[in-house]
Amino acid sequence: MTLTEVREVSGQAGDFTVRLLEHPRYVDMDKCIACGECARKCPKKVDDEYNQGLGKRKAIYVKYPQAVPLKYQIDPENCIYLKNRKCGACVQACPAGAIDFNQKPREKTVRVGSMILTPGLKPFDPAGIRTWGYDVFPNVITSLELERYLSVSGPTEGRLARPSDGRPVKRMAFLQCVGSRDLNKAGHGYCSGVCCMYALKEAMIAKDHEPDLDVSIFFVDMRTHGKDFERYYNRAKEAGVKFRRCRVHSLEPAEQNGGVYLRYITDRGKQVGAEYDLVVLSVGLETPPSAAELAGRCKVGLNQNLFAERGGFQPVQAKGRPGMFVSGAFAGPHDIPQSVTEASAAAAAASLPLARVRHSLTREKRFPPERDVRGEEPRVGVFVCHCGNNIAGVIDVEELAAYAAKLPKVAHVERNLFTCSQDTQELLKKTIQEQSLNRIVVAACTPRTHEPLFKETLKASGLNENLLDMANIRNQGSWVHQAEPEKATEKAKDLVRMSVAKVALLTPAPPLTVEVKQSALVVGGGLAGLVSAHGLAEMGYPVHLVELTSRLGGSALHLYQTWRGEPVEGKLDSIIRKVTSHPLITVHLNSKVSGAEGFVGNFLSTIQGPQGETQVEHGVGIMAVGGRAHKPGEYGYGEHRRVFTALEFDKLHTLGDSRVRGGKTFVFIQCVGSREPERPYCSRVCCTHSVQAAIELKEQDPTRKVFILYRDIRTYGQREEVYRRAREAGVVFINYDMHEKPRLRLDNPDMVEVLVWDHVLHEPFRIPTDVLILATAIVPNDLNKELARIYKLPVDADGFLQEAHAKLRPVDFATDGLFLAGLAHYPKPVEETVTQAQAAMARAATVLAKTRIDLDSIKARVIEERCDGCALCVDVCPYHAITLEEVQGEPGRKLVRIEAAKCKGCGCCQATCPKLGVEVAGFTYEQLASQVAAALA
Amino acid sequence: MALRVAEEGLSSCSGCEVAILNLGERLLALAPQLDFVHMPLLMDHKYFGQLGDGDLKRLEIPQAELGLVSGGVRNQEHLEVLQAMRANCGTLVALGTCATHGGIPALINGLANAELMERYYRGCETNDPAPDPTETVPPFLERVYALDEKVKVDIYLPGCPPHPDHIAEAVLAFLEGREPALPHKSVCDACPTVRQGKGQLKSVRRFLQNAQYDPAKPIADMRCLLEQGLLCMGPVTRAGCSGADGEAPRCLKARVPCRGCYGPVRQNGNQMLDMLNALASNGIDIKTLPDRAGGLLRFSGAHGRLRPRPAAK
Amino acid sequence: MAFEPKILAFSCNWCSYAAADLAGASRMQYPANLRIVRVMCSGMVHPNLVMEAFSKGADGVMVLGCHPGECHYLDGNIKAQARLAVVEEMLDAYGLEPERFRLAWCSSAEAERFVEVVTEMTEAVRGLGPNPFRPTRPEDAQEVA
Repeated sequence: MTLTEVREVSGQAGDFTVRLLEHPRYVDMDKCIACGECARKCPKKVDDEYNQGLGKRKAIYVKYPQAVPLKYQIDPENCIYLKNRKCGACVQACPAGAIDFNQKPREKTVRVGSMILTPGLKPFDPAGIRTWGYDVFPNVITSLELERYLSVSGPTEGRLARPSDGRPVKRMAFLQCVGSRDLNKAGHGYCSGVCCMYALKEAMIAKDHEPDLDVSIFFVDMRTHGKDFERYYNRAKEAGVKFRRCRVHSLEPAEQNGGVYLRYITDRGKQVGAEYDLVVLSVGLETPPSAAELAGRCKVGLNQNLFAERGGFQPVQAKGRPGMFVSGAFAGPHDIPQSVTEASAAAAAASLPLARVRHSLTREKRFPPERDVRGEEPRVGVFVCHCGNNIAGVIDVEELAAYAAKLPKVAHVERNLFTCSQDTQELLKKTIQEQSLNRIVVAACTPRTHEPLFKETLKASGLNENLLDMANIRNQGSWVHQAEPEKATEKAKDLVRMSVAKVALLTPAPPLTVEVKQSALVVGGGLAGLVSAHGLAEMGYPVHLVELTSRLGGSALHLYQTWRGEPVEGKLDSIIRKVTSHPLITVHLNSKVSGAEGFVGNFLSTIQGPQGETQVEHGVGIMAVGGRAHKPGEYGYGEHRRVFTALEFDKLHTLGDSRVRGGKTFVFIQCVGSREPERPYCSRVCCTHSVQAAIELKEQDPTRKVFILYRDIRTYGQREEVYRRAREAGVVFINYDMHEKPRLRLDNPDMVEVLVWDHVLHEPFRIPTDVLILATAIVPNDLNKELARIYKLPVDADGFLQEAHAKLRPVDFATDGLFLAGLAHYPKPVEETVTQAQAAMARAATVLAKTRIDLDSIKARVIEERCDGCALCVDVCPYHAITLEEVQGEPGRKLVRIEAAKCKGCGCCQATCPKLGVEVAGFTYEQLASQVAAALA
Repeated sequence: MALRVAEEGLSSCSGCEVAILNLGERLLALAPQLDFVHMPLLMDHKYFGQLGDGDLKRLEIPQAELGLVSGGVRNQEHLEVLQAMRANCGTLVALGTCATHGGIPALINGLANAELMERYYRGCETNDPAPDPTETVPPFLERVYALDEKVKVDIYLPGCPPHPDHIAEAVLAFLEGREPALPHKSVCDACPTVRQGKGQLKSVRRFLQNAQYDPAKPIADMRCLLEQGLLCMGPVTRAGCSGADGEAPRCLKARVPCRGCYGPVRQNGNQMLDMLNALASNGIDIKTLPDRAGGLLRFSGAHGRLRPRPAAK
Repeated sequence: MAFEPKILAFSCNWCSYAAADLAGASRMQYPANLRIVRVMCSGMVHPNLVMEAFSKGADGVMVLGCHPGECHYLDGNIKAQARLAVVEEMLDAYGLEPERFRLAWCSSAEAERFVEVVTEMTEAVRGLGPNPFRPTRPEDAQEVA
């Protein structure tokens, strides 16, 4: 349902009635083939929002070429016909007759059990605020505009030029925190969380385009707190990006050259100015008015930042609104990994209460039995699509069809106006059956969009779906050689010849399925493990929860409160109780996984416990073995009785230890063990924790002196609120540099003397300290490496488990059926751990919800006639799907074996084997070689 | 009537003929069924009449049902003898790797003839070079050819030399009118060493280095030599050296890596390309290998695989 | 008649093949000398296939995959890159110019890059002239592969 908005919601969790309004697209989605003829003929040019208004689009358009669904739409605000009933150029142009000006807004009502709100964000608009000169100076642009300038698909095709005069950019400056951390000008107290990283990325890409480019980033705190972000920051420094810690207070036009003049203060306190060709405003995120309206209609509460209200232990649940879930930028200023994780978590949370009715509305499609064509000679049917005029307008389709008819093994050739249309599918079916065709070539558009459709048609005609090949004569033919029809026709003949050659060699592959053991193994009984185990059990799947120690709870046992101030202990106790009393959860304490085999749906793991070894079968596994606090070897830790780690301090603070109770001066040192050469990552949680603790110390006794010595304060997102409160409460923040760490004098047992360089007064500063708190790094557990060995999982350079894709698959492993959550992945606070655990559980549930998994037919298989067990392919397989095994009954003879469920069909093995002993179905060496030969025939 | 057999050795070392003799008692058992009509190495049989009184335009090779030819084709004489063998033999067997893939003599294919003369005769410092011979020595062809580059070959029996078991099988099968059962997989198929995967290697050690193994233990307990970092040609080389039921490939039995003497595992395969690709695919830097062409095509330089370095442009 | 090179590209389904599709949807124009063989991953292309293409007369061959780090199959493109050295070695051995082979990365959104790579390649190969191994008899074909 695109172009659709929620008008009204009634009912309650489990039974909402939602009234929807679908706005007209004026294009029939079933007919539109996205050829773009309409947009070419449309006379109305409009500023292109996608290119930030830097380019033009037409009144009939797709937002960007990768849009899903890839269907054109008419913008009624700008369409000449819809405005005054003239024009209609698109109706003339459309070869498929898809334009429908008669579409009207349609109301729809749906009944659902849960709702997930993800209306997204809007970039902050800096226009009208003089300081930034955005709408005053043409060479001041936003980061999103720069993104389009840097993109090869953008308005300048990736060339970096000054908007004012198109001259090359030699010096560029980024101004951070535009519209973020700024109550005065922007009204946003929060940190947008993403701008530091995207500024770094854009700076690096710009340097990549123009190695001599001078780039400076003006920042307040560099917030690279995500996984591998700090490394990227370090790389940017090495690449020569300059970092200047200060807010720029004004922008002026430069005297000559049309540049922009910035005045700022250096970290040594000197006021200086510099000229830049281009100034980029790193704009923050905010909730758009439409999202706020949606929240109103759904009765979802927003906080003062206009983000959805939620709690630390139910991070995707709209606070006080059961049945409604939120994720993405609507829930807070999140980056992509966090948004994707939250989306999965919201899916899990939304489906939990609906677990009982799972599958009650699903229907299965049925196909006729498959004709066995193995003994038959290939009878190839070639279907040449005109695609309206898209192909036939350039390529001589008659000549092509006549040519195809003469190719060997071709039994039937036919031309269609639209081979993809519904009635042609019926025709195809009839022709396949009447002509007893057993191999099909469709010469049309790209298999990437249309192969699934034709595969369905093959299945419906009783042919195995793999007996198909598509010759891409449109996207890679008529469309790209419009001015050379003869050459395009010759190329089309080659492409059809290649397809016919290949299709004749294709063999029917039986559909592969594997059974799913509908149970889960969760390794690690900390917060992440508890949440995912409990969720999966609530969905009805038996869970084995393995914990190394004698107690559930993990690192959360040492935590005192969340950043919102919610106490941890009670919540943790409650979930531990729920887990231990759940009939579907088996808890294995004092245990660990000692071995495993199998693949998605069918793992067999060995759990070693106090009573010996147990083997459990499970369909999925979640790795949540947590992390631990780094024990520092510096700052007098372990030597002086007034030096503590943050967790130790929390305990003493809660217990009312006299050193804390009576303390008057407290110093927190940040980044102890983090962001160091041997641990080049940020531990993400320590800034917020120290700031919060500092506030409490101040609240308990305002006369206390509390100092936080920091490198960058990383109270990202809405945590910025805590930082602001601390400053209001009088907590003193002193910046230090990694090369000029605070020094200590420890000779007095009742006091620690801290020496630091004051970054405001620019002189040394001596703090006689009662309690020194070290904000220590979070380090990965050694168990990570052990699990990695057992389940063949990747571990990153820092020792954390490595997800399949940092952005798009943040809780999956590359190995199907295995997922990760919690500190084992990277340091993170409670709410993000819970989110990730819920996300892992959602991803796991997508496997467990099925009793069988259908596998793709593109799989490698061993040709036993040729394989001789040389094992060259074993380590080449990225999925560890290949093993070497002794042939039964023939001692000493070995062959490789490929686990089909693990194989993804990349063919790395096929390209390694010296004897063609392994081949990927549908892409065998012989099939590819036949295409090569046909292309050059 | 006994089966008539003709045998010829071209550019070769006579090792293949010795392998025939090494059939041992089997040769005695076969003897009544075979009639060797021509085998210059063992029999005095002249090409142009026993007294040199024959037709100098026509090589005299008797008619035979089975022709065995060892060695590659290096010069004009080889070519003529080969063509005569083909014309007079019903079925032609390429005997040994020189005949099937050029073998050791084809290593010279890395040099053009002019370069060869320059390097080994002209450029020699110790005596005055004589002019290139033009008489009594048959002229070189431009390179060493495998038999099937010049004539049709019916049966390929690679090996340096071929194992007597397989020679016997080829002859027996011919007598019985069936396809010979010859090895078609690689040396690894016959190799019992322990294999676990090659991924942990980054480079290949020099050939001179020794394998690690416990001499008291059988070969089946030794780690695959390639996985030990030794350049073992096993995966790209045709099996056969261990015979019909040998316990391990010959070189492996001596605990040294396979040198590739049976030629590529697929008749049309390329040992160099396949080996380099297998190593590169496993993350091994192929540039760490010295003399890649000479080392990897040591036995299969014919078919244009090994050729003179093109002049730099 | 002017020399029109025949160029063969092995394009990975997820990135470069998609970029080629997008180039079409965006109506970008490029020389009609290219013939694409769709593969699932650049890591699926055996160097022997590349050499086979040369032996059958391709004037230029490309392997087009995803950018490093973006492989749909973790690191197939890295394996393709490792095999580049093998192809270069073989080209060198056969006296073919290294410019006749090209390994390039291009994401599914980079239609411009695809067009640029194809155009550059076509022009470069046009400059080199015909593949000297373009066989006249089919049996010569196996010499290179």
